[in-house]
Amino acid sequence: MAQAGAVARPGLYVHVPFCSAICPYCDFSVLPGDPARKGRFVADLIAEARLWEGAWDEPFDTLYLGGGTPSSLAPEQLARILEALRHYLPIAASCRLSMEANPEDVDAAAVAAWRALGVHTLSLGVQSFDAAALRFLGRRHTPAQSRRSVELAREAGFPVVSLDLIYALPGQSQEDWRRQLAAALELAPPHLSCYELTIHQGTPFGFRVARGALSPAPEGARAALFHLTHDVLADRGLAAYEVSSFAAAPEFRSRHNAKYWRHVPYLGLGPSAHSFDGSRRWWNERKLGPWQQRVARGERPVAGSESLHPTDLALEALFLGFRTTDGVDLAAIRQRWGLDLAAANGDTIAALAADGLLRRAGTWLVPTAAGLAVADSLAARFEMTSPPGRASMMPA
Amino acid sequence: MPDIRNFCIIAHIDHGKSTLADRLIQRCGGVDKRDFRDQILDSMDIERERGITIKSNTITLSYTAGDGRDYELNLIDTPGHVDFSHEVRRSLMSCEGALLLIDASQGVEAQTVANLYLALEYDLEIIPVINKIDLPAADVERVREEIDADLGLDPFEAVLCSAKLGTGVDDLLEAIVRRLPPPGGDPQAPLSALIFDAEYDPYRGVVLMCRVQDGAVEPGQRVHFMHTDKEHLVEEVGLLRLKHVPRERLTAGEVGYVIAGVKTIQDIDIGDTITDAARPAAAPLPGYKEAKPVVFSSIYPMATDDYEDLAAALDKLALNDAALTYEKDSSSALGFGFRCGFLGLLHLDVVQERLQRHFGLDLLLSAPSVRYRVTLETGEVVEVDNPALYPDPSAIDHVEEPYIKASVMMPERYIGVVMELVRERRGVDTTFHYLAVGRVELVSQLPLAEVLFDFYDRLKTVTQGYGSFDYELLDQRPSDLVKVDILVNGEPVDALAQLVHRDKARPRALHYCERLAETIPRQQFKIAVQGAIGGQIIARTTIHAYRKDVTAKCYGGDITRKRKLLEKQKEGKKRMKVVGTVEIPQEAFVAVLKTEKS
Repeated sequence: MAQAGAVARPGLYVHVPFCSAICPYCDFSVLPGDPARKGRFVADLIAEARLWEGAWDEPFDTLYLGGGTPSSLAPEQLARILEALRHYLPIAASCRLSMEANPEDVDAAAVAAWRALGVHTLSLGVQSFDAAALRFLGRRHTPAQSRRSVELAREAGFPVVSLDLIYALPGQSQEDWRRQLAAALELAPPHLSCYELTIHQGTPFGFRVARGALSPAPEGARAALFHLTHDVLADRGLAAYEVSSFAAAPEFRSRHNAKYWRHVPYLGLGPSAHSFDGSRRWWNERKLGPWQQRVARGERPVAGSESLHPTDLALEALFLGFRTTDGVDLAAIRQRWGLDLAAANGDTIAALAADGLLRRAGTWLVPTAAGLAVADSLAARFEMTSPPGRASMMPA
Repeated sequence: MPDIRNFCIIAHIDHGKSTLADRLIQRCGGVDKRDFRDQILDSMDIERERGITIKSNTITLSYTAGDGRDYELNLIDTPGHVDFSHEVRRSLMSCEGALLLIDASQGVEAQTVANLYLALEYDLEIIPVINKIDLPAADVERVREEIDADLGLDPFEAVLCSAKLGTGVDDLLEAIVRRLPPPGGDPQAPLSALIFDAEYDPYRGVVLMCRVQDGAVEPGQRVHFMHTDKEHLVEEVGLLRLKHVPRERLTAGEVGYVIAGVKTIQDIDIGDTITDAARPAAAPLPGYKEAKPVVFSSIYPMATDDYEDLAAALDKLALNDAALTYEKDSSSALGFGFRCGFLGLLHLDVVQERLQRHFGLDLLLSAPSVRYRVTLETGEVVEVDNPALYPDPSAIDHVEEPYIKASVMMPERYIGVVMELVRERRGVDTTFHYLAVGRVELVSQLPLAEVLFDFYDRLKTVTQGYGSFDYELLDQRPSDLVKVDILVNGEPVDALAQLVHRDKARPRALHYCERLAETIPRQQFKIAVQGAIGGQIIARTTIHAYRKDVTAKCYGGDITRKRKLLEKQKEGKKRMKVVGTVEIPQEAFVAVLKTEKS
């Protein structure tokens, strides 16, 4: 695979849990931050990085500041974090730095500062160009602020400026979503992320749905909007490379996210962050308080972990791979984890191909557009066989 | 030796039979107040809940009458449902008299009439009893009129009572001893005793309930069972008080229990005659009739691991239910199960509930079927109750199906809707006649199969609860029968195949298709659900493929949560039944099959 070399080095993720207000659809680990809290968070994050000193040999070649809202931290705070990460952890010189920002935090000084910190990709939480939709989503910025933030970012010279958009709002028409896409395309972004609104239990939207006060868009409408998005953006030169990710050229794709999809190791710092070392996955304390207490005691703030069996890894490789337009390389799965999925799933693969959900390309299974839309259940169709190592232990 | 009266109470469902029995038991000191539970004879939960008697119970009461003499009153309880009429018959054969119980507000119902005819068949003395006279809606005059017009009995001989309040119970007891004849029989003649019921006791084996006609039976006696032609040694005899009370012997006219080393219910026939092995009676007592199942269904455990448990549970149930038949069956969709035979739909319900409640089994039942008589081209005759075993249509000369004579009683104003219902159900030779003022009895001949499919519910609906229904089996008649297959993406689902009359095939198939379309979750491909007779498609629905399920974000490396969701989904798939490439959840089978009965 072309990107295999590019994604082989580990990635580093930092979760900044602060938001000025909590969006009603958000189920990430976030909370409002006051200056004192933010100051203490920066110190604790640096302490957490130090707890990993010497534990990772291979240098990180991506660093992603996500959240939450990393742009809610002052540039000086971000600078201190980056400096500490470089001090305690091996960071490659070529490391690509990505950062999420909300339009309301973007001004000329901020973008200049972020650029100076080495940010390569600035991902802007635009969500919509419709004022009513922004209010519904609980966002604090206006469409004008969004446009302005994109212009400022471009002027500041970020190699990649990406826009996040949300679709399939309750009652949203195809026409309305076409207008949103058109508004985004006017700004000629090299990268777009278009997320279908997902309503999670335990969020304000989730409660509204449970009460019957909000109806999520029906499946048919969501499917139509999904395909509309992919078709319109492909037409305008922004081909999908993942379910929700679109890039004008391969070099604009997210290098960091690809590590999640391809089982490349990653280390996550900050509350709720997940890490993976190739066979084990662990996750930090989800809430800021417990995370801070653990760090203060000089412990890695790990809340839980799991050892992944080859069949777990292969199942993940399937459902993650089917989210990408590259698809899944069964030869790679066989080589990495010893599972011959092609042999065990011949009929399933043939059926999925006949149903127009997958196509075979050498040892690769590549989802069609229809397949991408149902990627979650494609993997569930597969039988996970045991590694042949076990079988070979049987007497011949 | 006290005087004896053997009697039973016959009544329509819910006319208060159990309550009256309770009151009689209480009045005769059969139970301490402390031990008294309402409806003590209905000892099974299901009977208690539904207010019907399924398994008869018998009790001996001691009563000192107004004339100062002591009587032994044997109250032989009878099941109150048409499915169990063979048990009713045996109970009646053990009695000299019957209390015909009529609800003072409901009046005479179809079953009252059917039960009266049965009682008259056995030459019983009848005492009409008008119960529930305490109800505000009680209309004693109208009921008297119905007793005269519908039943042809003397309405002024009716005893009025309220079993609930105990009013009139003393009058009733006096009527029993004065009006019912004492049992006949010759104590010196060779033993003949009728087995009218039996129950299984894990410690004693089978306990036989008997009415001694002639002679006497006592421990140590070698007895011969005349129908099964087996010999046993009597271990114990006694009276059926609330507990078994051993006695030295039971003599002519008495009712009691006999324990004779019988291991299982299958070893005996209810209705058999016990006689002395050395000095046998000339002939068995009349009236023996095998209880033949008429309704059949396959029972599958929801979890295939439960098959052994289901087998054990059926074995246990059969210990106390001689009418239940079962044999191994298997379905490619539902796995291993049992093909069971029942006396009727209620019997099926009762067995199902016992399996579920007492044995904790989760079950799936195939659509109930009757037994068809199929004559092949070769002249060979086969009986088929299982669609899976239905012969190839080209090899069939003709098919016959069982018909019943149904009697429906209702207020006059419902005659139109009931006639329509009966016509829908292929009723023929329908006649009706007026009973008392405003009341009509409709008699029709219709296929038993038509009654299996929600007939009783529909009757209750169209008559707003005022219609009552009873039936008896008539004969076998030619039928234009077809086997309807349900296909999912072209693959037949064997557990859903059914035998139906050609006229009913299309609506029934469509009903199944629609039900499946509602309950099979959409999958990644289009699913055609079809009903077919042979190669001909007669009904069709489509389950469209789902088009979108992928989640928008797989964020921050939290892949574990996503994988666990997927594993759960895969686990759920394992519990699904696979037909071809289509996964059908058990709920779909449940939803489709449940509508068949109820």
